[in-house]
Amino acid sequence: MPEPGRPLPGASPLTGARETLEVEATVREALPNALFRVELATARGTSVTAHVAGESSLLRLRPGDAVVVEIAPFDAGRGRIVRRR
Amino acid sequence: MARACRIVVGALDALEAAAVPGVTTKEMDRIAREHLENAGARPAFLGYRGYPATLCTSVNEEVVHGIPGPRRLREGDIVGLDLGCIVDGFFGDAARTVAVGRASEEAADLMKVTREALFAGIDACHPGKRVGDIGHAVQTRAERHGYSVVREFVGHGIGTSLHEEPQVPNYGPPGRRERLVPGMCLAIEPMVNAGRAEVEVLADGWTAVTRDRSLSAHFELSVAVTPQGPWILSEPYPYEQAEAVNA
Repeated sequence: MPEPGRPLPGASPLTGARETLEVEATVREALPNALFRVELATARGTSVTAHVAGESSLLRLRPGDAVVVEIAPFDAGRGRIVRRR
Repeated sequence: MARACRIVVGALDALEAAAVPGVTTKEMDRIAREHLENAGARPAFLGYRGYPATLCTSVNEEVVHGIPGPRRLREGDIVGLDLGCIVDGFFGDAARTVAVGRASEEAADLMKVTREALFAGIDACHPGKRVGDIGHAVQTRAERHGYSVVREFVGHGIGTSLHEEPQVPNYGPPGRRERLVPGMCLAIEPMVNAGRAEVEVLADGWTAVTRDRSLSAHFELSVAVTPQGPWILSEPYPYEQAEAVNA
C-alpha cells in the first residue's frame, strides 16, 4: 500500500530534488516591505536581503534575532527566512 | 518478514486466479481475508488510518487504494490488487495488477512495463546506492515507453510497521536521498499511468484515480538490501550463504 508522498522541504515539484540550502543567520536590520538584512553564520559572514516565509510572527523580527534562511542556488544574494532558531 | 511477504504473495496468486468476469471486489476482499486467516496472519491495511478493508482493489483508471465493494469485474478490466499482512509483528506488503479475462493490448503493455519498472527499481537495491537511484530506475523505464509515473504516492520502508522511513519515490534524479545499507527493507511500488501522471482522490477519501481517467497499473514487492544486493522477501534467499568461519 503506497504512502502519500511527503515532499522534502525546498524540493522541486517536478524532480523531487532539494534545490535550496538552509543557512543559520542573524538579523542585522529591518528594511521596508517586510525585508530584512541578515548576516549568514558562515565564516565569511555574508549579508543577504531576505523576505519572510508565511508566518506573521516572523514579521516582527528585530535586529539580533537568530533565524534560519533558505537560499536558492541561482541567487545567493537573496534569502527566505523560514524560522527562528 | 519473509514469511509475511510469502503469505501476501501466495494470497495474490489466489486472487489473480479469482479475478474473473462477474466477481465483485468485495468477494475478492473476502478471499484475501480468508487466505490471511488460514495462514495465521493478520490484515495490515484493515483499520490502517481508517482504511475499511483487507485488500485494495483498483480497477482500470483507479491507481491505488480502491475500496472493495459491490462493483463487478468485467471482461477486459485490469484490477490492481494490493495486500498487506502482519506475522509475529512483522509486515509484508505486495501488489500486482491483473487482467480480468483478456486484456486489451494497451492494458497488457502497461502492466508489462510497470512490472519491468518494479524490477528495474529492485535491481538498484545494492548497498552504497541511494534511494534516489531506485526512483530514477523506475521512472526511466516507465517513461521510455511513453508512460508516466505517479508522484503523489510513494513506496516506503517496511518492518514492524507498514510505513517506515525512508520514503521511496518512483521518480527523481539518481544519487540523491538516503544511502542504501544492508538490512534496510523497502516496499518498492511503481504506479504507472498510460496517460498523464496527475491523480486525484475521490470523495471516499481513499480511491486515487488518474485525473485524465487513463489506465493505471501498480506492482509492488518488499525487498531487503543485503551485502550482495536485493532480496525479494517473498522469494528464497537468492545468494550463496557465506561459508561458516572455521567450518
